[in-house]
Amino acid sequence: MSRIGVFTCHCGENIGATVDCAKVAERTRNVPGVVHSVDYKYMCSDPGQSMIKEAIKEHGLTGVVVAACSPRMHEPTFRNAVEEAGLNPYLCEMANLREHCSWVHEKNDATTDKAADLIRVMVEKVKHNTPLHPIRVPVTKRALVLGGGIAGIQAALDIANAGHKVVLVEKSPSIGGHMSQLSETFPTLDCSQCILTPRMVEAARHPNITLMTYAELEKLEGFIGNFKATIRRKARQVDEKLCTGCGLCITKCPNKKIPDEFNEGLGKRSAIYVPFPQAVPNKPVIDKTNCTFYKSGKCKVCEKMCPTGAIRFDQQDELVTLDVGAIVLATGFKVMRTDKFPEYGYGKYADVIDGLQFERLASASGPTLGVMKRPSDGKEPETVVFVACSGSRDRAKGVPYCSKICCMYTAKHAMLYKHKMHHGKAYVFYMDIRSGGKDYDEFVRRAIEEDDVKYIRGRVSRIYEEDGQLIVKGADTLMGGEPVEIKADMVVLATAVQAQDGSEELAQKLHVSYDPYHFFAESHPKLKPVETNTAGIYLAGACQAPRDIPETVAQASGAAAKVAALFSRDELTREPVVAVVNRLPAPTFSYCVGCFLCQSACPYQAIEAEEIRGRDGTLIKTLAKVNAGLCQGCGTCVSTCRTKAIDIQGFSNEQIFAELMTL
Amino acid sequence: MDLREKSRQLLENGDVKAVIGYERGTMGARRPAFIRKAERADRLVFDEACAQNLATYLTRPEVRKLGRVAVAARPDTLRAILQLMAERQVKEENVLALAGDGTVELGTAQAIEEHLATCAKELPARDREILDRLSRMDRAQRWAFWQAELSRCVKCYACRNSCPMCYCGHCTMDCNRPQWVPVASHALGNLEYHMVRAMHLAGRCVECGDCGRACPVGIPIHLLTFNCEESVHLQFGQRAGASSKLDYALSTFRPDDKESFIR
Repeated sequence: MSRIGVFTCHCGENIGATVDCAKVAERTRNVPGVVHSVDYKYMCSDPGQSMIKEAIKEHGLTGVVVAACSPRMHEPTFRNAVEEAGLNPYLCEMANLREHCSWVHEKNDATTDKAADLIRVMVEKVKHNTPLHPIRVPVTKRALVLGGGIAGIQAALDIANAGHKVVLVEKSPSIGGHMSQLSETFPTLDCSQCILTPRMVEAARHPNITLMTYAELEKLEGFIGNFKATIRRKARQVDEKLCTGCGLCITKCPNKKIPDEFNEGLGKRSAIYVPFPQAVPNKPVIDKTNCTFYKSGKCKVCEKMCPTGAIRFDQQDELVTLDVGAIVLATGFKVMRTDKFPEYGYGKYADVIDGLQFERLASASGPTLGVMKRPSDGKEPETVVFVACSGSRDRAKGVPYCSKICCMYTAKHAMLYKHKMHHGKAYVFYMDIRSGGKDYDEFVRRAIEEDDVKYIRGRVSRIYEEDGQLIVKGADTLMGGEPVEIKADMVVLATAVQAQDGSEELAQKLHVSYDPYHFFAESHPKLKPVETNTAGIYLAGACQAPRDIPETVAQASGAAAKVAALFSRDELTREPVVAVVNRLPAPTFSYCVGCFLCQSACPYQAIEAEEIRGRDGTLIKTLAKVNAGLCQGCGTCVSTCRTKAIDIQGFSNEQIFAELMTL
Repeated sequence: MDLREKSRQLLENGDVKAVIGYERGTMGARRPAFIRKAERADRLVFDEACAQNLATYLTRPEVRKLGRVAVAARPDTLRAILQLMAERQVKEENVLALAGDGTVELGTAQAIEEHLATCAKELPARDREILDRLSRMDRAQRWAFWQAELSRCVKCYACRNSCPMCYCGHCTMDCNRPQWVPVASHALGNLEYHMVRAMHLAGRCVECGDCGRACPVGIPIHLLTFNCEESVHLQFGQRAGASSKLDYALSTFRPDDKESFIR
């Protein structure tokens, strides 16, 4: 016979002002199985918890219902209290009188009736509760960081410095990411390379970090603490161990006319190349689509020239399987290209460039060695127009969100231009200036007030070419929408920040959710900003949303702290709310018929096959089995199972049925 | 050569442990026959009157124990065999389908798939007529039609027992802890039973129509699952029984799934 105790909380005024808690407690006393029912102002407080503990001992309770706030808020609190009193914590349930009743209804009798009903439902549930025990799973103390930009590097360094092994995977030949392409950084105008490259070298040299550049995630299996990642190491066609990075192959390569990705197409590179001189690792790769040997079967100049014989034309992609305990996603962003703007010439004007291209023009290591020269004819641009919000905050372009970094980098671009060309004119078309952040607004004011950058509030409707100049047509909305026309030598579009190509596929591989724009979704926008909905996978940087460098680094360190906290234990304990396939005595063994239609339904790949064999080893039956470490208790398999062979512990069919039938 | 001779050969050579076919029943009907000795193969008949889907016996424990069996198979039977393979209920090496006039041996899933590609599927005229009638009705009329039809159900479970895809050892209908679906054949119980049956077969029904044939009170119960199949085909572009490697439409996510029904 059940002996249930019900504890109704007023939650101060939150519940008490709307629900007649004393009446609810009184009525609950008459529910069959309830032997003790009281109400109190703050159940979660120390005296409140003591009331529960004492009642358990005094009345010999077999189950507890706390009628209070959301279980998300205080279930752990009350379960701990119940456990301290010697009862299994999973024999305590919460009836949510706050979110489900008092906050959403007016004060009247019906509200009090509903509160009593909610409690009655939970009493029925608790009658069917069984003692459960947390699931323990081991933890592999090695992290996988996907993406070798500043986010990935920072996360990898922090995890490595906490004493754990890290594998840093980067899809391009070098780590560094977008930050390595930048000239100077706002709001301090310190050189991007100068602050980044030491970090890159540190990551490469760190004894706890293994670099895997020119590699991508192929497949991910497993669960928190126990992931199995398959990494595809793309063939560099260069033996990394033999190569000394002398660069002779690069100087001798006959094909030097390939648009350079690192310089955003503004420079040229050879078919065997390192992306930039400070690359880590400083080992070249052969671009197979452009290499003369792969195209015509002849050449191999690099092979002849290489003093260490490191060129490997027969090298194949290699698949490496790694056991890791946690994953940090730091795959970064891309920018919208100028060809997405019909009104600005569909990318056909060479002197209409995007922000990243301007970074390369302004960079001392760029194609012009930092001298301001426009791409079309190398002329020094006397007038430059910067267009903020190009694509961002524009539903027609499919980007309703703010790209966040453009206001700041546009101010920086205009400033860098003015510093290089004192007599030049810089105009900025903007919608709003969003410069929240430490020293950010001061930076923008400096551009306007000290460097004489002309800010025009309005949008640019059209850009076209006339007599070797770009005619920029816009409006000045602060002058009553007066039309503005500027003859410019170069236009820089602060194009929208977008999710990296392939983000959707990667998210599906990892079972991580993503937003409509394919940015990865955090678990909670405020309280779990670096976690994903898949336990053990964390987010850092612009793969989650547009971010600047300080925020990215902070988030990367946050993700690293989460990983370090996870790795601080040898075992993980998990809520035992998982699916279980029922087991019965022979010869039935289980209601499961082994159709495995639940297997494709499971979003967490938690369904495995279990073979039942006789004593002589003959196969009797193959059943589905739920891997408790992987299962998240979502219940999709339960609804798929025709024979009702699967149940969720703590939310069993019988419990739900009893809850419904009491109403 | 005909089915009798083929069966005799197969049993004599020990290729199969039994042949599941049809023999003469009462009043011109055909009934299933389980032939385990070559000399009894004479009883077999295979003609137009052989309607029942014999694949339903492949999942019975008694038949499973036998090992490899041959089945006289109409196209519906072949589809059922493929679907049973997709659901891991029948092993490829344990079944030999005898298709066509009963002499075409189909020993592998691939052979069955290739054979099926040559068979056209047509809906019987009577079914077509009812479906057309239903498609012209509005929601309330359709509801009334099925309520009237289902009111005659006596819950004998013949539809379930005849179905080749209803192989679960423990049917939801027999689940009594808790008793989600009432056992009695009243309006609510009948409706719940047939809804659960239709949903459990959506994306799995091979459209043999055996449930409708088995119904002693003549409810066109097979049309419910046929219609589900039609919707699944429309939304996911696949039909149950098309392949032994078919993914279950209702639980498999594909990036190119149509999501027009999500509102």
